[in-house]
Amino acid sequence: MQIWLNYLVQVLIYASFAVSLNLLLGYAGQVSVAHAAFGAIGGYTMGYVATVHGWPFLAGAILGAAFALVAGVIVALPAMRLTVEYLTLLTIAVAFVILGVISTFSDLGGTFGLLGIPKASIFGTEMARPGDWVIPCAVMLGLVMAVCHRMGESAYGRVLKGIREDPLAVQAMGKNVVAFKLTVFGLTSALAGLSGAFYAGWLRLATPGVFGFPFALTVFAMVILGGMANIWGSVFGAAVVVLLEPLLRDAVRLDASTASTVQLIIYGSLLAALMLLRPQGAIPEGSRLLRRLRILIAGEGSLRMRLGAGPYGERREMPMNEDWAPDFADGERAEAAFAAPRRDRWDHAQPVLEARGITKHFGGVVAAENLDMELRAGTITALVGPNGAGKTTVFNLLTGFVPPDRGSVRLNGRELVGLSPHRIAEMGLVRSFQDVRLIARITCLQNVMMAVQGQDGESLLKLYLGGRGPSRCEARTRERAMQWLDFVGMAGFADVPAGALSYGQSKLVSLARLLATEAPVLLLDEPASGIDARWVETTLQMVEAVRDQGRTVCIVEHNLQVVGRLADHAYFMDLGRIIAQGAIEDLTASAELARTYFGI
Amino acid sequence: MHLAAVNLETFLQLTANGVFRGAAYGILGVGLALILGVTGRFHFAYGSFYTLAAYLAYTFKDRGLFPPLVEATLPFWVAALAGVMVVVALGCLLERTLYQPLARLAGATELLAVFVAALGIAIALENLIRLLWSSSSQPYFGPSREAWSIGSVTFLNFDVYSAITYAVLTLALAAMLRYTPLGRMVRATRSNPELARTVGIDSKRVYVLVFAIGTFLAGTAAVWTGLQFAVEPGMATRPVIFAFVVAFLAGTASSPIRVFLTGIGVALVEQWSSMWLSVRWTQTAVFVILVAYLSWLSFRQSGVYVKLQIPGLRRQRI
Repeated sequence: MQIWLNYLVQVLIYASFAVSLNLLLGYAGQVSVAHAAFGAIGGYTMGYVATVHGWPFLAGAILGAAFALVAGVIVALPAMRLTVEYLTLLTIAVAFVILGVISTFSDLGGTFGLLGIPKASIFGTEMARPGDWVIPCAVMLGLVMAVCHRMGESAYGRVLKGIREDPLAVQAMGKNVVAFKLTVFGLTSALAGLSGAFYAGWLRLATPGVFGFPFALTVFAMVILGGMANIWGSVFGAAVVVLLEPLLRDAVRLDASTASTVQLIIYGSLLAALMLLRPQGAIPEGSRLLRRLRILIAGEGSLRMRLGAGPYGERREMPMNEDWAPDFADGERAEAAFAAPRRDRWDHAQPVLEARGITKHFGGVVAAENLDMELRAGTITALVGPNGAGKTTVFNLLTGFVPPDRGSVRLNGRELVGLSPHRIAEMGLVRSFQDVRLIARITCLQNVMMAVQGQDGESLLKLYLGGRGPSRCEARTRERAMQWLDFVGMAGFADVPAGALSYGQSKLVSLARLLATEAPVLLLDEPASGIDARWVETTLQMVEAVRDQGRTVCIVEHNLQVVGRLADHAYFMDLGRIIAQGAIEDLTASAELARTYFGI
Repeated sequence: MHLAAVNLETFLQLTANGVFRGAAYGILGVGLALILGVTGRFHFAYGSFYTLAAYLAYTFKDRGLFPPLVEATLPFWVAALAGVMVVVALGCLLERTLYQPLARLAGATELLAVFVAALGIAIALENLIRLLWSSSSQPYFGPSREAWSIGSVTFLNFDVYSAITYAVLTLALAAMLRYTPLGRMVRATRSNPELARTVGIDSKRVYVLVFAIGTFLAGTAAVWTGLQFAVEPGMATRPVIFAFVVAFLAGTASSPIRVFLTGIGVALVEQWSSMWLSVRWTQTAVFVILVAYLSWLSFRQSGVYVKLQIPGLRRQRI
């Protein structure tokens, strides 16, 4: 009996390591092999203060978690902008450095480690036998799971999943990717530290070997086995890995050391086979058992029913927001602007975005040379020009994705150059991408929800201390996002993973996502290309509807009919320079442009 | 700080140690960098193949070709070559039957999928070795072992032989990559696999070739290392971690010669640092350098992801 309680404790502790690593690896997509080393920080801290200063166990564990938190944030700082291969390597190196440093201090037992940590007592109860640890460890696992679930299955987790797949797209929606990553790194390190303290307390020792590389890989394997971004899966993975050994020993009657070797062979091969057979893990992301059950009971999947609603479904009215049309609030001029021909509309409108002298060279290549342009409130501006003229680069320069060498960009008089892309997006200048960049593995609705600004669930403080606030906010966000999906006619696809859409459909969802930011200035990169011919007209009407709300739009577009239909003003670019500007009729009337570009 | 206290003899001895040990790091780095640079696979099982090569060479020589059934043994050099070649075949098999299908299935998450599968293979192989040969280390003898010295500096004849082998192999690989049609195909695939495919290069075969070369280099190093020390299940951990360090520090798209020299540089840092640091700190010192280098890579970039250039590893889709 006692031995099985021991295994149970082991499962509980390993599971809490795996669950917290899953938040980092599965949700945020940050490959870390250093998780065990952060556990070592927690374990050693607890062991040291318990042995030398006689601290009670829980106080030591909390201190250990705090130290691990600090270490995690310090490691995360250089890790922020590394690609996954370098991040993996960095965490390997960090794990070696942490264990190397620890085993150098003779106060910490050197290479032997801290042995004979005093028996812990929790709230006055001494943990005399290993089995006594079941309840404390279960409570700790419950806490770790609650923290990870709260973060992973909220607006916060949505952003993390976005970062996992496309940090750039998430940044374009005004999310501070670096802050999110730092937070999740720090938090998961703290949880690893806490788990490490319990591990060391239970073993009554903390050695470099216990928290060594093999342990790091084992925890990694548990997460993979149980499935990425699946918290219960990690518990399952931990149970499988831990219980394989006694199973082999008792059922197959192998001796203890052979059993543990065979156990490792089995789960190693399982890991490789799993990647081939079920790359998403044993219980893949999003496959809530409950949801499966519901679909089973309903017979026909509810998903399929909604898919049957037609390629683009019905469109609805656009949601409104009073903030969009400050310049048109004084009725008279607004009417004049809407009623007037387009040229007049441009002439009467106030500049919202002004770029002056923007220059960018990539080595010898001139991407942009001394560009002056402005976008005016409630108008549509078009950037036209041959391929490679630098149109998309202009979007990158305006939105801070590529910092200009020189020049200034002002949004309502505020300088944007030098700000990071997420700040610029927050200030109300957002852009779409030519290649759409939806987050493939979450649903269309989730994609659009991510773009909604000011969500309570994205603030750590409100998430953990805000009570029901975040979930109420989540309901509002869902409703709002649904309205935008309705507006582009994609509401029927709300529950479909974005990766399953056709190009044209994903283009519409990305439009909904862009609109859901409710930013007053929108940069659209080829909004109509790749969309079903019948739907192009509708798309154009949508863009006009957006303009008629008083929002400012700039489009990059090749299709001259689209430009002619939408644009109040056009800039003609070639080789990184603006060659001409004016109403589109004037540009097409110019003989030279007509010959070189329009081919008329 | 105690520069004056360090005498010349110690310095020379440490330098010699560094060069010999560095040659081993270097050759492992060369093989790994080739694999990483061309295929983009985070081949974590590299070390298991290294260990397996040493075990097979040892078994073919001392225990028999297939111990339970065939007890005939091979002469040392033949056994060593046979052991390495079996591992080369296994390396190719791994690439062809696991990594390639996996990369196709996983799509965008290829890197992680391959890393995890490689991790699984590494764990399984190491323990399979423990199961078949026991966990304790096996003495492995071949040509006689002699201590040589120049002045006060002492080393083994194996140190010299192995360093020469590694240097020759590195130069041969560099020449092959530079001057032969095969080498040009490898380089073309490394710089742009899609483009290479359009000019008729079968990138899958190039990948298999690269795995063969990389595994061969690792196997060769394993045989020499086994001779110098012993054959044991955990023998790969440290050299392979260092191979990763070397490959990344040198840049995975660099010439083998540069990677090799980086290996020697890393070992020299490790050895020389023992003049001022306690021996236990020296390995940590190498990783601190790696962390510093990676941090520098990260901070060198302006506040954007788009421009993060990786020296040679997987081409970014932007």
